[in-house]
Amino acid sequence: MSDGGGSGSGSGVKAPPTLETAAVDTAPGVPQSNGMIGGADEQSQSAVILEWLAERGIFLFTTALVLIAAVFVDGFASLDNITDVFNRAAPIGIVAVGMTFVVISANYLDLSVVAQVATAAVVLIGVGNEAGIPVAMLVALLIALIYGLVNGVAVGVFKANAVIVTLATTFIGLGVLRWASGGSIYFGPQDSLIRRFGTTEIGPFPLSMIALIVIALILQFVLNRTTFGFTVKAYGSNREATRLAGINTAWVVIGAFTLSAIGAMIGGFVLAPYTNTAVSAMSDGFDFEALAAIIVGGTSVFGGRGSVLRTLLGVVFVSVLTNIMVLSGLGFGYQQMAIGALIVLAVSVDALARKAVSS
Amino acid sequence: MTGSSTITPSGAGATDLVSRLRTVLARRTEGRALALLVVVAIGTIIFEPVAFTSYEVTLGRIALIGLVALGLTAVILMGELDLSVASTLALTGVVMASIDNLVLGILAALVVGLLIGAANAFFVVVVGINSFIATLGMLFFLRGLGFVVSDEQPVRIADVDAGIAFGKPLIGGLTPRMLIFIAVFVLMQIFTTRVRVGREFYAVGGNRQAARDAGIPVRRRIFTGFMISGFVAALAGVINTLERTAADPTAGSTVLLSSFAAAIIGGILLTGGRGSVFGTLLGATSLGILQVALTLSAVQVDVQNIIIGAVLLIAVITDPNSLRAVVGSVRSWLRGRSVATT
Amino acid sequence: MQDQSRRSRWWLMGLALFVAGSLFAACGDDEGDSTATDDTTATDDTTATDDTTAADDSASDDGDAAASGDGEFEVFALLPQGNDQPYGTTYLPPMQAKADELGINLTITNSQYDADKQASECETAVAANPDLIILWPAVGDTVRPCLEAANDAGIPVTVTNSDVNPEDQDLTEAYSGPDTYGQGVASAELMCEFAAGEEIGIIMINGLTGNSTAIDREAGFEDTINEQCPNVEILARQPGNWNKDESQIAASEMITAVGAENIQGVYAADDTMVAGAIDALKARDIDPSTLIVTSIGNTFLGNPLVVSGELDGTVFQSSSWDGEHAITVAHEILTNNPDERLVEFMPSVKVTAENADAPEVAPEW
Repeated sequence: MSDGGGSGSGSGVKAPPTLETAAVDTAPGVPQSNGMIGGADEQSQSAVILEWLAERGIFLFTTALVLIAAVFVDGFASLDNITDVFNRAAPIGIVAVGMTFVVISANYLDLSVVAQVATAAVVLIGVGNEAGIPVAMLVALLIALIYGLVNGVAVGVFKANAVIVTLATTFIGLGVLRWASGGSIYFGPQDSLIRRFGTTEIGPFPLSMIALIVIALILQFVLNRTTFGFTVKAYGSNREATRLAGINTAWVVIGAFTLSAIGAMIGGFVLAPYTNTAVSAMSDGFDFEALAAIIVGGTSVFGGRGSVLRTLLGVVFVSVLTNIMVLSGLGFGYQQMAIGALIVLAVSVDALARKAVSS
Repeated sequence: MTGSSTITPSGAGATDLVSRLRTVLARRTEGRALALLVVVAIGTIIFEPVAFTSYEVTLGRIALIGLVALGLTAVILMGELDLSVASTLALTGVVMASIDNLVLGILAALVVGLLIGAANAFFVVVVGINSFIATLGMLFFLRGLGFVVSDEQPVRIADVDAGIAFGKPLIGGLTPRMLIFIAVFVLMQIFTTRVRVGREFYAVGGNRQAARDAGIPVRRRIFTGFMISGFVAALAGVINTLERTAADPTAGSTVLLSSFAAAIIGGILLTGGRGSVFGTLLGATSLGILQVALTLSAVQVDVQNIIIGAVLLIAVITDPNSLRAVVGSVRSWLRGRSVATT
Repeated sequence: MQDQSRRSRWWLMGLALFVAGSLFAACGDDEGDSTATDDTTATDDTTATDDTTAADDSASDDGDAAASGDGEFEVFALLPQGNDQPYGTTYLPPMQAKADELGINLTITNSQYDADKQASECETAVAANPDLIILWPAVGDTVRPCLEAANDAGIPVTVTNSDVNPEDQDLTEAYSGPDTYGQGVASAELMCEFAAGEEIGIIMINGLTGNSTAIDREAGFEDTINEQCPNVEILARQPGNWNKDESQIAASEMITAVGAENIQGVYAADDTMVAGAIDALKARDIDPSTLIVTSIGNTFLGNPLVVSGELDGTVFQSSSWDGEHAITVAHEILTNNPDERLVEFMPSVKVTAENADAPEVAPEW
């Protein structure tokens, strides 16, 4: 099953460079953004191998990890456990695929997803109990659009640093949420649509995981086949050139942050039904965990280069790793160490490969 | 430039002074921090004078926010980031408390801080990873290591009395924490303005290729910067552990974001090359006074967060570059409109 | 052209500063307003609720004194949580109501479990020189300097929710709150009782890693199991971080790790997490009522589970008791200043199917 997803992503990974160059070529004055194309004649054997590794790194890592776990970790290869991995992956994954656009636009990350996920979850259940789910979803969507607009305008129009802007909106957003909700924990009714969404599984797939896959496919399409997607990449690799090409860069940034906000909203929409509860503290740590998945997936934090399906694989990888460590009875400390080491390792391979290629 | 000064109605000498003042001001980056500080200080004097009469408390809060931020400044000036400072603070505290001999413990903690800085720099300089990612990995790794070393529990230091004595005022109401903070500030200020190595940080952050061409050993400078950041974070870990008489593996949860906030409010450009240690001090000072005043006046914590968030947002979008960008885009928009209408 | 651009830049700068300034002015006004309203509500309440005070046990005779006599006390409450956690959310209102009733002006801080932040807030509190400080330690091991500073300044300190270490207790005047270690003990006693001497294996879900309440409860539970019923074996343990979703996944994974057939019981450090574990069991088509499940809390989430039989037993922690007694104990110290350290433990009422409907154990959070 992970094979299917893997080969899909393989082709997805191959596609962007050509498409991107095509897009970039139409914009005069935009320099080649991707160091991996061209100048390949003098590559040494090891450089070729390293590059090949880096290109498919996350896919190979994930496959290897899954195979090793299936053989050596008791209970890993059971349907129930695969469901657990997916339950781990789905909410954070939906947040991460949305945030991928912010990272590709060379804006580091969106810290405010912490506030956004919690807000969407609390609104879905809190407002949903009072006024019905459609109204709640509409309110949540409105809030997500506000987040996207505020973050996007501050970063895109005011050219302010995204880390600080989203840090500020996190403070404000969590403050408002706690002030408005009083910090209470909200429960959904036992037999509601929300509850059923959270408990239904198709084979080993919880509905949230299916949502993640569908959203990832849609966003991959947006990134690779739409003008907006091309522009985000072009902007991420060279801002000034994109601006000179006559593209309204403010809208690119606002769009990226809005996609991130909508991803975070849907993340909240699948997190709340899973437990049928919502509380403002439920999404602590989502900011850096989502970023970790994006980076492990191989999206460059320099911007311009990346893929939504790779982020999806990154999320699966981190979830599998955490799952294995819990199955093996390792504590929280070791889990954090492993994730940290993994981030550095994954990116080191990528960096060394690019160095070898360019030298 | 000259065109504008002849148009202005006031006398030539005055305009000369004004324009010279303007150029000086334009080169300084601390303007917003200063404005914020003035607003905060006036507000505090009116509503919560206690924050000034018991200055040692406010100073303590400033030192708590500002110490890590001072170290961070060295890294940010070079256009790099260090997300691992909070985890470094927690881990070094645990290392120190785990060693029974106080002096040995402190030394070990500081060495660990230097090693962490060196490891960060290794990944950035030698392997070639973006510092944002390298230190993000270290953030997780070091926090995990802190939990493993401490067995997931607070560790009390062996000599509790020494710790309590350390928290007592030494000279005129100033505790060792504040004196160390002041010392670190002075050293960093001298280092970045008077010492060649420190001044070169600006060149490394401003234009790395140009710095390399000018013969500046960029790699070594980056190593120095990260080791300063790691060392100062370790110093903060040591001070916190001593003052609290125990190390907490969960420590520093609010450190990372508040030290970034202090540096940014202080006018330091995250892309490097611009800013000053003095700016960081101003940023930390205004944040510290603001926090103490809000606490004293019993503002609800959630509302405090909203206020601090709003201050951050205003600080970051009133950057001169930001305003110029807005003016630019408004003008190009207007031009687009006029072209469309004609 | 250039001149224009510069002028507009300055103009914009001025506008931005004005916005910033007005924001500060606004929050300054807020401060003024909030203290002003606090004052009036406090005095209103003290006069209005005099009769109800008489109903309360310990505060009855002092309540009148406060209302009629020299008036208000300034008290700082240094808490590690507030509206960011469900418990804090239901702890604060009863605390504030009691304070209003007894004529106590409360200033509340929230350190978000950051010991260094709480220490700094403690310094601020000492500088403000209140009549008393109520402390809920963020990390128990780190509060001694704060206590000494308050002592030096002659400010009495009472402790709420989690007691300080035994060697630090002589620096404090009182403690009220649950016995967090004792709650772990009580939950373990329930587990032992239901196990009735049989050899069983259980999985354990703990609170946030490194959090003092989590550490105390884990220790209380484990020590008691080892002493009273070694027939119960803890097969696996993971943190659930006080979260339902994290607990649910961790529980499910532990079931995979040790095998469903080996598990006859589940312990979780609070009801939110045990609800997650019960959902995990159900998702595996395991009937939770066939297992021995215990936890701590008796919350809105846990109580119905006890009634339905899925949760066999929990230990009642009343947030309103906790919040109110923080104030009544502080008031007792302020007005009577007893010689002995005053300790009021929240009764660790065990809640099982027999008494889950009783009004005394109606859930609060």
